[in-house]
Amino acid sequence: MRYAPAILLGRVVRKLARWRKPGGGSAVPGLVVNKVAPGFLSRTLNSFPGGLIIVTGSSGKSTTTKMLVAALRAHGSVVFTNQSTANISQGLTSALLEQASLSGHIAGDIAVLEMDEGHGALISGTLTPRIVALTNVMVDQIDRFHDSDMVAAMLVKIAARATGTVVINADDQYLTNLVAQLDGSAAVARYGVSAEVLAANPRGLGYSATTVDRLEAGEGMLLTQVHGRNATVSISGRELPLRLPARGTHYAVDALTALCTAQAALGDRFDAGLAIDAISAIPPVFGRGEIVTVRGQEVEFVLVQNPASFQLNVDSLESGTEQILIAIGSDVRDPSYFWPVNTSGLGRVRIASGSKAQDIALQLTYDDVVVDRIEPDLGRALDDFLALPEPSTGMKTIIFSADSMRRTRAHLGLATNSEA
Amino acid sequence: MTRPLAIISLLPDLLNTNGDAANARVLAQRARWAGIPANVIDVRTAGEVPEHVDAVVIGSGSDSDLISARDILATMAADLRVWTTAGVPVLAVGTGWELLSWGIELGDGTVIEGLGIVAGRAVPMQERATDDIVVDSRHGRLIGFENHARNYVGAEASPLGQVRAGTGNGAGTEGLVMGTLIGTHLHGPVLARNPGLADHVLRTALARTGQDYLPGVRTHAADDIAKAARNQIAVRLTLPTE
Ligand SMILES: [Zn+2]
Repeated sequence: MRYAPAILLGRVVRKLARWRKPGGGSAVPGLVVNKVAPGFLSRTLNSFPGGLIIVTGSSGKSTTTKMLVAALRAHGSVVFTNQSTANISQGLTSALLEQASLSGHIAGDIAVLEMDEGHGALISGTLTPRIVALTNVMVDQIDRFHDSDMVAAMLVKIAARATGTVVINADDQYLTNLVAQLDGSAAVARYGVSAEVLAANPRGLGYSATTVDRLEAGEGMLLTQVHGRNATVSISGRELPLRLPARGTHYAVDALTALCTAQAALGDRFDAGLAIDAISAIPPVFGRGEIVTVRGQEVEFVLVQNPASFQLNVDSLESGTEQILIAIGSDVRDPSYFWPVNTSGLGRVRIASGSKAQDIALQLTYDDVVVDRIEPDLGRALDDFLALPEPSTGMKTIIFSADSMRRTRAHLGLATNSEA
Repeated sequence: MTRPLAIISLLPDLLNTNGDAANARVLAQRARWAGIPANVIDVRTAGEVPEHVDAVVIGSGSDSDLISARDILATMAADLRVWTTAGVPVLAVGTGWELLSWGIELGDGTVIEGLGIVAGRAVPMQERATDDIVVDSRHGRLIGFENHARNYVGAEASPLGQVRAGTGNGAGTEGLVMGTLIGTHLHGPVLARNPGLADHVLRTALARTGQDYLPGVRTHAADDIAKAARNQIAVRLTLPTE
C-alpha cells in the first residue's frame, strides 16, 4: 500500500483538473504523484508479469504500437498501453493512475509503451523492459535533436535496458550499428524489406542511412510486397497477405515491426495468422491517410511529421488528386529541413496555409508546383477549400503538420486524439 | 549557348542535413525561368566532376560525417582551387564551408584539418546557435536560419555581412567572401529566401559565359513569396519590413 496516498492524491488532482478544464489537465496529476512518490512510475511499469515492451525510434511509433497491441490482444493478452500522445513521464503516470488499484497494481499481463526517443532516453534508466522495438532513425524534429547521431545515441540508451529482446529494423544502418554497441545480454530480432520492395521506392524509405544488403529470409521477418493497402510478409518461410490501414510502404513496415515484436513477446504462443488478422482489422490510422466526412464531403487527411514521411506521402498520393490544401504550422520551427523533399508530384496546390504558409509555398514554387493561393489564416483556408466544388477526380486532400492538424480538427469540430 | 548551365551539388547525401543542397535547384530554376537551360549535377566522387562547371553548391552535414566528407572533398581540392581562381561561384554552407577552411576545432580539443582553400577556422562555441539570423550584406538584407555549434574566426577582413540579429561567425560578422566563393551559416534554401544573393551568384556564373540575366515572370512571383517569408521573420524580430 506504499503508493496509496500518492494514488489517492493523484486522483483528487485529476478530478480538480477536469473540473477546471473539461478534457484537459491530464499531465497535472502525474506531475503531483511523481513529486510525492517518485518510484511509482518505474515500479508499476516494471511489475507486469509479461513484462514491458517499449516501442521507440524516429517515425512509425504510434502505428506500430497500435498494431502490436491489437496483435497481442488477439492472442488473449490483457495489455496496458499509452493510447494518447502523452509520452512524457507525467502523462504516463496519469495514464497509469486511471487504471491502478490503491496498491499500485494494474490489471494486465503486459505493458506496451510508445516512447519518444528523447523522453525515453531520460526515463529509461529506471525501467527494465523485456523488449525494446526500434523503428528507424530519421532526421526528425530538428530543433530538438540536431542530427541522426544524437537520435541513435538516445536509442542505444533505451535499447541497452532490454532484458529479453531488442527488435530492430535491419534496413536501417544506424540501428544495425547500434546492435554492435549492446553487451549481448539481450537477443536481437530483425525485420526488413525485400530488394523488390526497396526498389519500388526509388527514393528509399526515408531512413538517415539504409543498409547496403537486404535481410535474408532465414535472418528475420520480411516484407515481400506492397500494393496500395495490400502487403505480403514472409514469416518462417510462409508468405502471408496483410491489409494495411492506409496506402504506403511505411505502414507495411510498421506492421512488420509489430509482427516481429509480437513474436518476440509471445514466443511459442505467437500465431502469425491471428496477429495478421488483428492488424488487418485496424481502421484507417488517425491523421495519416485518414478519410473523414466534413460538411457533407469526404476529405483525406495526411499528416507529415518529418521530411521522410512528407516524401513518402507525396509519392504515394493517389494519382489524379486535383484538390490539395497544404498547411504547415509553427511546430515546424525551421522549414529548411523540408527542402530535401521533392514536392513536384503534387502538381498543383489550391491553398498553402498555416503560419509557415509562405515558406511551404516558396518550396512548392521552386518544385514547379502551381500554388493558387497563399492564405496563412488556416480557418479561412479550410472554409474556402471545403467550399470548392467537388473534385471531378480524386478526393479533397489536406496535407498538414501536427500543429496544423490540431488546428484543422478544432476548426472543423472533429474529435482530437490529444490527451484525454 | 551550346550547353546548359552546369550547377554542381557536391556530396548531396553527406552534406544536406538542412536542405542546403536545394540551393543548386534554386539556381537552376532561376536560370530556367530566365530562359537559360540549366542542369543540377550531383557529384559524389572526384570522378563525377563534369568537364564544364558553372556554379558549385556545398551543403552542411552531421559532425560524425566531417572526416568522411573532408576525405572525399580532399580528392577534389585541385578542382576547388581551379574554380575559385577561375571565378566560378561557389556557395558553401555550414560544415561544407568549415571543411574548406584551415581546420575545425571540436569540443574535445581535437582538430580536423580542412582543405585550406579559404582563410580562417571553426572553433567551438559555449552554446549552440539555433535561431533566425539577419545579416546586412551588399546583396541586401539576408534572412535565414542558423544551427551551428562553432564560431568562425579569421574571416573578419572579408565577411559576407554584419549580423543584425543572431550569432553568425561570432563577433558581429557573418560568413566569408573570397573572390567568388561565399561561405555562410545561413542554412537551408538561403538562395530561395534571398533572391539578391541568388542573382549575384547566378550573374557571376553567367558573366563567365558572356550571357545576360533578366529574371523571368515566375522569378518575380517566387521572390514576392520569399519577401513575405522574410518579412514575417523581420516582424517577429521587431525589425523594419521591406
Ligand atoms: Zn470556419
